[in-house]
Amino acid sequence: MWYHLMVMTPDLDTTVKLHIYRTIAETTKVPSAAEVARDLGVPGPEVEAAFGRLYGKRLLVLEPEDPTRIRMAPPFSGIETAFPVDVRGRRYYANCVWDALGVAAALHEDAVIPASDGFSGEPVILEVREGRPVPQECVIHFAVPAARWWQDIIYT
Amino acid sequence: MLLFRSEETVERWCEVHQVPRRPLVNLEQLWRLAVIWYENRLTAESRRPTPQDMVGIFASVGLEGSFWDPAADQWAGAR
Repeated sequence: MWYHLMVMTPDLDTTVKLHIYRTIAETTKVPSAAEVARDLGVPGPEVEAAFGRLYGKRLLVLEPEDPTRIRMAPPFSGIETAFPVDVRGRRYYANCVWDALGVAAALHEDAVIPASDGFSGEPVILEVREGRPVPQECVIHFAVPAARWWQDIIYT
Repeated sequence: MLLFRSEETVERWCEVHQVPRRPLVNLEQLWRLAVIWYENRLTAESRRPTPQDMVGIFASVGLEGSFWDPAADQWAGAR
């Protein structure tokens, strides 16, 4: 019965969001709506509706073909990407280089990001140590203006 | 956005993909943006910056102009 109390409050979205992020932080895996529903003891449709609202707030990006699955819970990616982030022996995946640094910031941990040059493929290994990026020869090119980032956030 | 070893590889990438050269950001600037965006993401209080917030955040790390303004309308037809 306790879940009825939860779904009656306006805070289900926060509960779902926190559960998603805590699951990722602990397991590196991005949970599906069914997994969140099972873990929280909340009906699946309620969680799916929360996913939709969180997407509307641009806090999640859902898989275009399956809105019960998360493509991005920024800075984390729901799929393997070219931006792995190694933290305390665990490998997370980020959506882009900004988000790769964001994983270290979100977890408040040191991290190693074994990335590569966007043109040549040459390794460019970034590191965050004691809350700062270790100086590295690199630049980040923003090809898409801020006004258009969400027109195709997966491309951005 | 993409990571490059140098401005030279940015130029070559833009040439190959026929994409205009756009602003470059350095590692320290990107780290500051990452911290502002994500340091509280695992807490109940976290929220995504509003478009108005974003303009101020970008300016605080030295990124100014319409490219960094989410409300700018001049980019609607841009590649």
